[in-house]
Amino acid sequence: MPDAQSKRKVGSQIIEISVNGERHEISVKPRHTLVEVLREKLGLTGTKDGCEQGVCGVCTVLLEGRPVLACITLALECHGKEVRTVEGLAQGETLSVVQQAFLDQGAVQCGFCTPGMLMSVTALLEKNANPSLPEIKKALEGNLCRCTGYNAIVAAVQQAAGQGVKPVMQ
Amino acid sequence: MGELSYIGKSFRRKDGPDKVTGRAMYSQDVKLPGTLIGRILRSPHPHARILRIDTSKARALPGVKAVITVDDTKGIKHGFVETPRYPPDQEVLARGRVVHVGEEIAAVAAIDQLTARQALELIEVDYEILPAVFDPDEAIQPDAPQIHPTHPKAQVPFSNIGGRTATGWGDVEAGFAESDYVREDRFESHLRTHGYLEPHTTIAHWENERLNVWTSSMGTFIKRAKLAKTLDLPYSAVRVHKAYVGGTFGGKIDLYSHEYCAARLSMITRRPVRIVATREDIFAAYRHGQPLAMEIKTGVKKDGTIVAQQIRVINNSGAYRGSGVVVIFLAWGFTMIPYRIPNLKYEGLSVYTNYTVRAPQRGHGCPQIRFAIESQLDRIAEDLGIDPVTIRLRNARKPWEELPNGDNVHEAGLIDCIKVAAEKSDFLGKYGKGRKAASTIRRGIGMGVSGYFGGSLIYPNGSGVIVKMNDDGTPTVLTGGIDVGQGSETVISQIVAEELAVNIDDVKIISSDTDTTPQDIGAWISGMTYVTGNAARQAAGNVRQQLLDLAALRFNVDIKHLGIKDRVIFNRNDPGQRMTYREIIAHSIATRRGDTIIGEGFWRTMRDEPTHPSLATTKGRWSENYAYSCQVAEVEVDIESGEARLIKALTVHDCGFPINPALVKGQIDGQVSMALGHAFLEEVLTKNGYTLNPTWLDYRMPTIHEMAASDDADVITEQYVVGKPYRTKEVGEGLVSGILAAIANAVYDATGVRLTSTPFTPEKILKGVRKLAREGKGRQ
Ligand code: FES
Ligand code: FES
Repeated sequence: MPDAQSKRKVGSQIIEISVNGERHEISVKPRHTLVEVLREKLGLTGTKDGCEQGVCGVCTVLLEGRPVLACITLALECHGKEVRTVEGLAQGETLSVVQQAFLDQGAVQCGFCTPGMLMSVTALLEKNANPSLPEIKKALEGNLCRCTGYNAIVAAVQQAAGQGVKPVMQ
Repeated sequence: MGELSYIGKSFRRKDGPDKVTGRAMYSQDVKLPGTLIGRILRSPHPHARILRIDTSKARALPGVKAVITVDDTKGIKHGFVETPRYPPDQEVLARGRVVHVGEEIAAVAAIDQLTARQALELIEVDYEILPAVFDPDEAIQPDAPQIHPTHPKAQVPFSNIGGRTATGWGDVEAGFAESDYVREDRFESHLRTHGYLEPHTTIAHWENERLNVWTSSMGTFIKRAKLAKTLDLPYSAVRVHKAYVGGTFGGKIDLYSHEYCAARLSMITRRPVRIVATREDIFAAYRHGQPLAMEIKTGVKKDGTIVAQQIRVINNSGAYRGSGVVVIFLAWGFTMIPYRIPNLKYEGLSVYTNYTVRAPQRGHGCPQIRFAIESQLDRIAEDLGIDPVTIRLRNARKPWEELPNGDNVHEAGLIDCIKVAAEKSDFLGKYGKGRKAASTIRRGIGMGVSGYFGGSLIYPNGSGVIVKMNDDGTPTVLTGGIDVGQGSETVISQIVAEELAVNIDDVKIISSDTDTTPQDIGAWISGMTYVTGNAARQAAGNVRQQLLDLAALRFNVDIKHLGIKDRVIFNRNDPGQRMTYREIIAHSIATRRGDTIIGEGFWRTMRDEPTHPSLATTKGRWSENYAYSCQVAEVEVDIESGEARLIKALTVHDCGFPINPALVKGQIDGQVSMALGHAFLEEVLTKNGYTLNPTWLDYRMPTIHEMAASDDADVITEQYVVGKPYRTKEVGEGLVSGILAAIANAVYDATGVRLTSTPFTPEKILKGVRKLAREGKGRQ
């Protein structure tokens, strides 16, 4: 075991990333993905791991404000960059308007797609405060949800964007 | 008791804040120090004899901590069904033979992924390839390859028939003779995966002679039972912990080999072992739903009244029994719930083939058989010149009808469901119009009906709930009920809040841990709101009674004068006499040495029935809760490309009454989406037992672009009264069924093309359109 491990140390590099505003220096190998760094090295398990094939969207995080699939983003690419994850959305106990809207609209069932959805929606609304339905669909086309049929998720985005959609849950 | 404060209202999910902040712990989020990575070696062949397994090289690899094969197990078999007729038929690792691609042969535990993967490559297996069979019609021929040569057969001399359900009533031959019109059709359904986003994950830790497990499941108690059995441990030595579950839809009930292997490897290494199924494994080696072939012969009177029906269902059940023998029983049940059938002859066969094993899948046979029956009913209606609404109303079961199995449908709302659905969708105003349109984009409307049982008897048959009062006057609820996304924690909290007159935010809920919570039926028999919910109601009612007794003693008045509101008990005749729960508990501590206030509740359906009905003969009571629904689909079909999509769905259902209407709506929307995937998009493509499209890139699950408008209406047939038992009905899986049938009927309405097999691909639709054009029947 010791030599197996030391052999694999070859090629490790230190990267510096900021995650939810906190700076980290982390030793990574070229094959390590961002989702591994977040979940395994930093213990930020809010970001989910669903397919490792870059197709389900549950691992979506924001890299420099843009949604990326952390399962197919290499950790080395994130050196010197700013990452935001679901853990960074709430301010203390206060949920972001997007998080709140997801609860108000029943847009969360099993919750496994939720962290990725929240990040995609957050990125959308930061760029476009008043998205149209096609724009919402475009922004979420890479995020699968098996539970909700997406109807409640669209309503949540519209509520968060202040488009007059009222909460259905109390 | 007047107004309800919590029941019938859409409260936000109890688990919501955890789920939107990333705090919710799923099995994959459980971290234990020193965890080893487990991986499974799977069969590359659909059918082969294992001549030799050599694990020595793998064992010798640095970083490998354990390697197991079937020789390291106790050889105890398990099965989804374990009855005298259908005894457990599967070992946790293959012994001597593999019968499907992906069958588990060996497992390793190593210090990391890479080492575990290398170890698998070092395991040497010699195979002798055996002939395989994939088509059930071929598999039942006498000379077909025998998949389980030593199994007792359900029907000699056929090969590979793993199970048979045969039942009926009346005299079908006489019924057909009496009929004015008889029609025979054959329908087929296809292979679909469940599509849960969370991959199967198990982490097991053997510590102090006890096994701790976190695993993706739909019921921690059933998992404990199967793990304890196959590991040959007492139930009490196995603790399945609570973990949130990222979608199930039927696919996380069975014991999976990786769950056993994680546990066994941990017992050997004395370190935690985690096994995660890759998405490719899930597509290629795990359990999907059940493709059925359905032959249906129906005789009716001129007015559309069903006189006789003969049904034969053949299930391609894969290489082990799985739930294959259940689905052929259920297909009978889902046949007889909605419509009166005076004479029925039913036969279902579950046939072994060299495919992966099948699991229950949301609806468990219902979407398939309703698609068949409802499609044929529309054909009959058209042949007789009757509209789809009238023919359904003519045959729909009425309230309080007795079913042929002895069950009663109680306040069945089917007739109202059909009427409301027809009215709300302007069904007859739209029906038949699309086909006549001049454009190449056609609209069509179709209807489908279904009925579903709730909370039948299967281990552990019933649910217990404990409510204990804290000194501050708030309740803590202990329930074995698992929240897989349906919202059970919220629903149970609403019931406790209502019964105890406490704020829902003050209800603390601890769930689905086999050590700390009472036994529970689990989220897989469509009965948690009814069974576990009634247990919660009882437990909370028990607490309420104790609090009232204490207050009555303190106020020195008869209990009947006491009122209860917002955690306060008061004397209706003397407003000065009032005590908060907190004060009552403090008083109890001071005067009665503080006996803790704990309420217990237990519920089980059909208390006097010992067990579930016979899978082979259908004899015995099945359920006391039958839910009904009528669904309408509006589709758009491009007759030049064959592309079709669901534009609008309407679901009118009788779930008794909704405890949380928004949660019910969430179930409906999700089922509509799943059904449109079933109809148009999803198919696990296979060749010779190999999966050709093992990723979501090639397996098209509905994305947000396929979202359909989903409307609903609830036909309320039952009510909730504080302190009384209530009856809710199934709402979480039956509604994938009527809508599938409705989509098929809507495609016909739009195009004149009758599709007899799912999925409704552009190729099939185009073929039908062209055929109509050739026959001169094409409209345009
Ligand atoms: S886990 Fe990254 S896209 Fe599925
Ligand atoms: S809530 Fe379960 S996958 Fe979206």
